[in-house]
Amino acid sequence: MSSKDSILASIRRHTGARHEMPELTLEAITYADKLATFSEVLAGAGGKAIELKPGEDVNEVIRREFPEAKRIASNLKEITCATFNPDELTDPRELNGTEVSVVEGSFGVAENAAVWLPRQVRYKGLYFISNALVILLDKTQLVHTMNEAYRRTATMDYDYGVFMSGPSKTADIEQALVFGAHGPIQVVVLLR
Amino acid sequence: MSTKHAIAAARFLENKENEAWHDHTLWMVRTKRDKMSHSLPEWERLRELASEIKLYSNSHLDTLLEEFEKNAIANGAIVHWAKDAEEHNEIVLRILRQHDARNLIKSKSMLTEECHMNEFLMSKGIDVVESDLGERILQLMHLAPSHIVMPAIHIKREQISEMMEREMGTEKGNIDPTYLTHAARKNLREKFLHADVAMTGANFAVASTGEIVVCTNEGNADMGTSFPKVHIATMGMEKIVPNLEALGVFTRLLARSGTGQPITSYTSHYRRPSEGQEFHIIIVDNGRSDILAKPDHIRTLNCIRCGECMNTCPVYRRSGGYSYTYFIPGPIGINLGMLRNPEEYSDNVSACSLCLSCSNVCPVKIDLGEQIYRWRQDLDKIGKASKEKKVMSFGMKFLMERPGLFNTALKFAPVVNHLPRFMVYNGLNAWGKGRELPTFAKESFNDMWKNNKVR
Repeated sequence: MSSKDSILASIRRHTGARHEMPELTLEAITYADKLATFSEVLAGAGGKAIELKPGEDVNEVIRREFPEAKRIASNLKEITCATFNPDELTDPRELNGTEVSVVEGSFGVAENAAVWLPRQVRYKGLYFISNALVILLDKTQLVHTMNEAYRRTATMDYDYGVFMSGPSKTADIEQALVFGAHGPIQVVVLLR
Repeated sequence: MSTKHAIAAARFLENKENEAWHDHTLWMVRTKRDKMSHSLPEWERLRELASEIKLYSNSHLDTLLEEFEKNAIANGAIVHWAKDAEEHNEIVLRILRQHDARNLIKSKSMLTEECHMNEFLMSKGIDVVESDLGERILQLMHLAPSHIVMPAIHIKREQISEMMEREMGTEKGNIDPTYLTHAARKNLREKFLHADVAMTGANFAVASTGEIVVCTNEGNADMGTSFPKVHIATMGMEKIVPNLEALGVFTRLLARSGTGQPITSYTSHYRRPSEGQEFHIIIVDNGRSDILAKPDHIRTLNCIRCGECMNTCPVYRRSGGYSYTYFIPGPIGINLGMLRNPEEYSDNVSACSLCLSCSNVCPVKIDLGEQIYRWRQDLDKIGKASKEKKVMSFGMKFLMERPGLFNTALKFAPVVNHLPRFMVYNGLNAWGKGRELPTFAKESFNDMWKNNKVR
């Protein structure tokens, strides 16, 4: 008998009462101003939300936020301040040393400031390896909670996707919060 | 007869300053959890749903695991089944050998701890690198985790600084957490880039889509899987959730309960292998299917490893993770240890004041404290009841069943107030260890009642 068969046999032998799946009815919280909540929660998670002013160019804002950056990665056409297209690399290891990456988010979640990033770059390492990550997000694309978020992703196809809420962080040394454990030290969400 | 827990706890308590810090810091995390839970009016409903979904999924593991496997294979993953720890470790080694891999970068996984995988692989010549900062610190210090979410919570920054000076060449005496963390970031970056194989655990496995979900704050799981040609994800079979909508309930509860955050920085969904990568998933039983046959303890399979029961537990906070003899400490660890081997791990069941705070905060409503109580009732059956307590219980029973004798004993109780200390506080009086006895009243309540002194 294969391990799979013997495990399944053991499960069947030992399973007693079979419980019903509950109805996932839930009166979930809604926020009067999703954008304000998102921005506030993002700040709490160590990130920064910037709302683009009418007529303002994203490249200007990125340059203003990261005036020193020399290595800026993006595969988005409109990001003219990018210094290289990460999709043209043949080895993801070459991404090491990237200062700023600019990517596009699918939608955001107000309750926890997470942005859904289904992989839209050749190497998903781009989301993690640069010192700063800039996420472009349509500010009309905000949902209240994760329940709503998963109803959206259920209709999407992706090979990899991440809900990202703020920068990489750790408190493993005496519970002192430090940003940039391994991934981005800074995360900026540009809402437009 | 002190339990191993009590003896180890006494050692932990010798350093009053560290003990107070440990207690205070974990309570702070618990307070953050309260702030989070109070911010959601639907919190209790979420806990209820989470518990019900788990009861459903754990009573349908046969069909859900097969559904998961079918979808995972359709996604391009290679699925393995492991009956026990040994088979799990052999599968991992086989995959590593197939790829001539010499080094493995892994993110945090309690399952690999359970299987003692690192020791096994290292004995076979594989360099295993833990990538979670806390786990890496412990690995380099040759220590085990003392908490399942905050593994190095018992280590002080001075010790870390000393170790990092030795291992990574950091500045002598620099104990700044930011400096130390960023030095480790630099050091581990090289490990991420040059590992042959990446390994992650799984917080959830979604049956309807065949994807696994990994939650981290550091992003170490994602960094780890971004460069090597192979990703191995290993999961205890109770990690299964039926679908994405059900997953939404758990991702709202996990970090709020565990660390008091609205969500972890990264909730990563691995569905299909990346370009040029092999994606293996190992489904592990290792005793889990046996728990299904124990209705009194079946809810332990609800556990999503948030660690909240440790943060809230007054005994854990004041005795530390190393006081427990099972590798998972705290209320959930007491129960999982007893399910693993009651004879071996019965020392831990006394590490509970039955305050039930754990049961009250558990996001998936495991009756943690109640189960510990039930285990205690069974101690005598497995020959593990404390002899002292048995004698005492027998004496109490004898006394309680004889009112005349009881009243006489009560009359003479105040005598204890005037006895020399050595006669009262000695090995025969377990209650007097580490605390003062109350003063016995001159007159018993019974006498006061009879003499009409009670109004």
